[in-house]
Amino acid sequence: METIDARGKSCPLPIVLIAKAIRNLPAGAAVTVQADDRAFPEDIRAWCRKTNHELLSLDARAGFYEAVVKKI
Amino acid sequence: MNAATSAPARDASTEERLAALESEMKELARRALAHSAELDSLSSVARGLGQQDKLSLIVFSGSLDRLIAAFVLATGAAAMGMQVSMFFTFWATAALRQDAASVKKTLLERMFGWMLPKGAKKLPLSQMNMGGGGPAMIRHIMKKKGVASVEEMIDLAAELGVELNVCTMSMDLLGLKPEELLDYPNRSFCGVAKFLETAAPGKLTLFV
Repeated sequence: METIDARGKSCPLPIVLIAKAIRNLPAGAAVTVQADDRAFPEDIRAWCRKTNHELLSLDARAGFYEAVVKKI
Repeated sequence: MNAATSAPARDASTEERLAALESEMKELARRALAHSAELDSLSSVARGLGQQDKLSLIVFSGSLDRLIAAFVLATGAAAMGMQVSMFFTFWATAALRQDAASVKKTLLERMFGWMLPKGAKKLPLSQMNMGGGGPAMIRHIMKKKGVASVEEMIDLAAELGVELNVCTMSMDLLGLKPEELLDYPNRSFCGVAKFLETAAPGKLTLFV
């Protein structure tokens, strides 16, 4: 699974990077995003709701968040 | 309890009530289906009436901070799957300047050319400009905090299909020629009618 490292990148880069990455994925494939932007948990949830992709998980790791998103 | 043992316990009036309830449920289900079909057709009407998932930005300001805000919104909206159109007018058109081969200009146009910022890299801040020291400071802080620069966001916007429209009246006023402006894949030169036609059916229009 592809991992996008958006750590150290601020809004709107994490969602811009995931939007770019997911375009090249086949439906059903998943991608991992790591980010430490404080807006990330709310933004990734909103992004998934708006774009109809599925947020499989969202966890707090040591100093950053990690989300797994499935392309619908 | 199974049907065979419970059946004898039912009397005629219970059977009657069950039958009545069953037909009532069937009627309710029929009505729910009819309502959902009605809702479907209403929502498709609403979509046709000015509810496109679109962001239109009128970018008027030629300040770095406002341009940052405009491009954060534009790239964010494009990432959210929205259609995005940016309309550059007045001072904002100078933000799109780039070093160009010399273009023929009148004296007044040349004077404007000297005074206007030569592209996004030369934009002042709307506040705390501090004689040009402010923009350098904010760029330094942005880099440190992982905020994309305006130049990077313009590239991202291009990649995400953000439309860029430049007001020809402003270009005429400021003496800017098309060949002086940044190369951008999805760029057009337009007037107010094109803007209104594009923005009117959208959900969201902002003036920056």
